[in-house]
Amino acid sequence: MSQSVGLSEAPAVREIPVRAQDRSRWAFLLPAVFWVLALTIFPLLYALYSSLFSYRFGRRNAFVGLDNYARLFTDENLHNGLWVTFIFVISTVAVEMVLGFSLALLLNREIRGRNVLRAIMILPLFATPVALGYLGITIFYETNGPINVLIRSLGGSSIPWLSNPFWARVAIILVDIWQWTPFVFLVSLAGLQGLPVDLYEAAAVDGAGGWQLFRRITLPLMMPTLWLILLFRLVDAFKVFDIPMSLTLGGPGRATEVYSMFQYRTGMRFFDHGYAAAQGFLLLIIVSVIVSLLFGRIRSLYEEA
Amino acid sequence: MLQRRNSLLLNIVIWVLLIFMLLWVLFPFYWALLNSIKHPSDTFRPGTWVPWLTFKPTLDTWISNLSQREIRRALLNSTLISTGAATVSVIIGTLAAYALARFRFQRVSNGSITTWFLSQRILPPVVVVLPFFLIMSSIGATDKIWSLILLNATFVLPFPVIILSQMFRELPPEMEEAAFVDGANRWQAFTRVALPLVVPGLVSVWIICMAFSWNEFLFALTLTSKNAIPMPVIIAGAQHTRGVQFHEVGVRVLMTMLPPTILALLAQRYIVRGLTLGAVKG
Repeated sequence: MSQSVGLSEAPAVREIPVRAQDRSRWAFLLPAVFWVLALTIFPLLYALYSSLFSYRFGRRNAFVGLDNYARLFTDENLHNGLWVTFIFVISTVAVEMVLGFSLALLLNREIRGRNVLRAIMILPLFATPVALGYLGITIFYETNGPINVLIRSLGGSSIPWLSNPFWARVAIILVDIWQWTPFVFLVSLAGLQGLPVDLYEAAAVDGAGGWQLFRRITLPLMMPTLWLILLFRLVDAFKVFDIPMSLTLGGPGRATEVYSMFQYRTGMRFFDHGYAAAQGFLLLIIVSVIVSLLFGRIRSLYEEA
Repeated sequence: MLQRRNSLLLNIVIWVLLIFMLLWVLFPFYWALLNSIKHPSDTFRPGTWVPWLTFKPTLDTWISNLSQREIRRALLNSTLISTGAATVSVIIGTLAAYALARFRFQRVSNGSITTWFLSQRILPPVVVVLPFFLIMSSIGATDKIWSLILLNATFVLPFPVIILSQMFRELPPEMEEAAFVDGANRWQAFTRVALPLVVPGLVSVWIICMAFSWNEFLFALTLTSKNAIPMPVIIAGAQHTRGVQFHEVGVRVLMTMLPPTILALLAQRYIVRGLTLGAVKG
């Protein structure tokens, strides 16, 4: 069993000799295709249309051409949202990747209770993010919350978690790290366990040490999996909304107002739907660029293997 | 590497690490549980970490929350939305998965169709939900459970399409061919031969879809105002004018988080495969 990494279809389509029912394939495929067209492509087209208009009191007002897109370049609050999101994405993904992969390397051995460990690591992945945000309010509570009580009992001074811009960002980053490090850990561990054991045995016979084994075998073979994890984490981190919306409400000030939240407020609080649609396309372009860069990276690594 | 004997020191390091990881992962759940059984005045007191020893536990908050109509309504809404979305997406997703696994499409290759479904996964929800809200409000269809089912089913659709098409491809086609010889048509070969063989995977995918739809917050926040409000939105109701009520937060957080986490444990064999959309088999 070698590694089972492959993005689309790994084994070729094994077609059953088709008889009279050839046309039935469309009956199988089309419901899903129409579903996606109706519920994502159509709203996107509608957004494209509405992005060309100004809105007043939530109603379409006047055709303004590309004005909403021009605003993207001068809006400081939007740039703040982008900046906050970049900080969030880079810190969470970096910490999660390093921590999750290191833990997987350390625990990739025979230990008792591995299944229990896996079960427990699955819990954060399916914990409702917005619930975690509200739970965070009670955990990061400055006066007598558990973290600050612990810090004080160790002789430190209370951290102003939710009232200080820097620490508020740390708080939302910590919640995301808590939730998604297990994902990196579980997927890395699954990848590590799919590596061919005989390769290590052969290398050990040749006298390769632990570091060399890691550098020459583990890391290169794990690269496709690691890029894949990176891609999934980046894409999800850019969508971040629930945790700052519940834990910090974007505050203090706009210190944790991530991009999705800024866009949501543009549309749902200020009813500036044309501008919100333009903001959506900016986000879509950013995420698509990242995906296409990484997707190529993953694909090329597959072909080398 | 797997067989290498661990030195004593390394073993100690690993066990310390394991215990730390377990405490780190489980602590938030424990804290929510503690707050949920505290008297309101105990929630703001330091050092109330062990029930009975450092504070007197009470079920008052649980009882008062479960007796509120809006909370029971929200639990029901969450259940309807998540099971509805999971069921719809698994049904249409399984059909598409079978098509991608068993037929060859000419004008657009199977790989491109798969990638198209996959690209659904990168679409930021906020980009779609605002125009969707405008469309829905223009036809007077906001605050409806079915509109949340529609959106959630769309965003979890890549899971059944991609994971199940992999599973169908792993089945030997000879069995379906045998069914054809016995006079079955394509639909019968699908429902009587192929489908029963992927049931464990199908159930797991359903659970993953259900959990994601249950946890979804942005669509619910945008599209509901009263009757269709699900649990993730109702937690915010614990934030009264008096400020955040920690005991209320504890109860509602647990009521929201427990169903998806417990269900996910039932699907744990398929979690890695599911979350990486089939790229890594756990």
